[in-house]
Amino acid sequence: MKANLDWGYSNPLDDVAGQVAIVGIGETEYSKASGRSARQIGAEAAERAIADAGLTPSDIDGLTFSGTFGEFGVAEFHAHFGTSHDMWSSPWGGGMAWAATAPYLAAKAIGEGKARHVLNVFPVAWATQRSSMTGGPGEVHAAQSLKQNLEVPFGFFPQPVYFATIMRRHMIEFGTTREQFGAVAIELRRHANHTPGAVFHEKTLELQQYLDAVMLADPLCLFDSCPISDGGAAYVTTSLKRARDLRHDPIVVQGVAEGYSGSGTHWAQQAAFTTTPQVFSAPVAFAMAGVVPADVDVLTCYDPFTVVALMQLEDMGFCGKGEAGALAESGALAFDTGSLPYNTHGGLLSHAYVLGIAHVVECVKQLRGAAGAQVRDCEVAVYGGYTGHMASTLVLTKDR
Amino acid sequence: MTIERSTFPLPDVDDAMTAPFFAAAARDALEIPRCVACARFVWYPEAACPSCGGSLEWRPVSGLATLFSWAVVQRVFLPAFAEQVPYVTALVALVEDPAVRVCTYLIDSETAALVAEMPCEVVFRDLNFPTVEGVSVRVPMFRVTPR
Repeated sequence: MKANLDWGYSNPLDDVAGQVAIVGIGETEYSKASGRSARQIGAEAAERAIADAGLTPSDIDGLTFSGTFGEFGVAEFHAHFGTSHDMWSSPWGGGMAWAATAPYLAAKAIGEGKARHVLNVFPVAWATQRSSMTGGPGEVHAAQSLKQNLEVPFGFFPQPVYFATIMRRHMIEFGTTREQFGAVAIELRRHANHTPGAVFHEKTLELQQYLDAVMLADPLCLFDSCPISDGGAAYVTTSLKRARDLRHDPIVVQGVAEGYSGSGTHWAQQAAFTTTPQVFSAPVAFAMAGVVPADVDVLTCYDPFTVVALMQLEDMGFCGKGEAGALAESGALAFDTGSLPYNTHGGLLSHAYVLGIAHVVECVKQLRGAAGAQVRDCEVAVYGGYTGHMASTLVLTKDR
Repeated sequence: MTIERSTFPLPDVDDAMTAPFFAAAARDALEIPRCVACARFVWYPEAACPSCGGSLEWRPVSGLATLFSWAVVQRVFLPAFAEQVPYVTALVALVEDPAVRVCTYLIDSETAALVAEMPCEVVFRDLNFPTVEGVSVRVPMFRVTPR
């Protein structure tokens, strides 16, 4: 099937290949309801990332965070660390698609002399908040008036229902089977079993369990859906030159891109219903980095549902459209025996639903050789972010 | 961001962007905004035509559609739906313009026999939820067109 590409576009970004590197990563505990606030989680992730870089809080003069959630911005940084220095900041960082593009903002700020060491942080405490019926992915959506009037009253809510209809359509158009969706869930669970700290580290998953699982919204079953989690992570970016003086080998930002759907933010009305805007993002990021899909040693993608995992594999060019189900079923995604190790920490589906920030951290760990499900000779790692109408791509490599 | 409207999850029939949709349904009519200038249907409603900037008017459509996709919802995601599960929520593509997908309930249809692109037709029903006492809203639902 030839893709019709008039439904979206790539947002042009300057070439930042080789300019900056990730030099520190920090993660909190990933869990079900922890009783902690997102602000506390963000502070802990920030502390750990700064320490990992061998820096102090006063060295951090740039901050990117999620303006959508606003849990850990400059005021929270200063309040936590007892600092008061001037900081460049942007609310267009954090998690989801922005976990990939925050290093671009850092590269621009560093290049323009506005900052030297930029922290990107993203915490979430939706598991804790859910117990008090506030926050969470559903509520954010229910507050939008078009959804509130044209979708929610008709039972088209929340995300598992949207993605059940996308999954159904993927089955209709491409013949994708439940066993193929199950192959993704099972492989990612196995990766989580190899990753200390993953929410599902101790729980295994077999095909029969997947096939027998309770349906949330048929054809989408419990294991097609990620859990709700508490947790957060952060990373520090600086110039490549400065990075070479710090304690870890630099993990170099080689490509960044972002793609958008022109069909707006509503899943129900996406013109390309079974395709993500990753088709507009990944090729641009790969070109900036000078890599092709076959060069990628580890791929992490935003995977709230198994069908999103499959769509992004297709849309980034790792297989043809509609072929990702067969790819997953072939075993290609396995960290140890596959040709395309995928979400090696377990992804949103089995590691934790921390909205993509842990995916970038996993890429850094793989390139450092410090991952739980470590891929041999990892030189190129890619994160694919996704929020529905937007997708993003981050290409990271070792210091060449 | 907490939703405080007491009639949620019934639609807010006074919301300016979608009020004409529910006003039409109250007359057992299905109406969709269409651009006065370029005659394109615009769905979901917008302030103006995204293609040409023309103004929009709500126009009646036939109520004939094809089944684009559906889900059989079994989990209770909101308390209002506790007595309703399992139900079929569907996206149906209007024959006038298949790019217009109406989000609806598929009712009076055999769930196990559903097939993509099946012809469907609109029917109008009063929607109510046990959590919203004494209020109902007339809405378009769809069913597989009887042979």
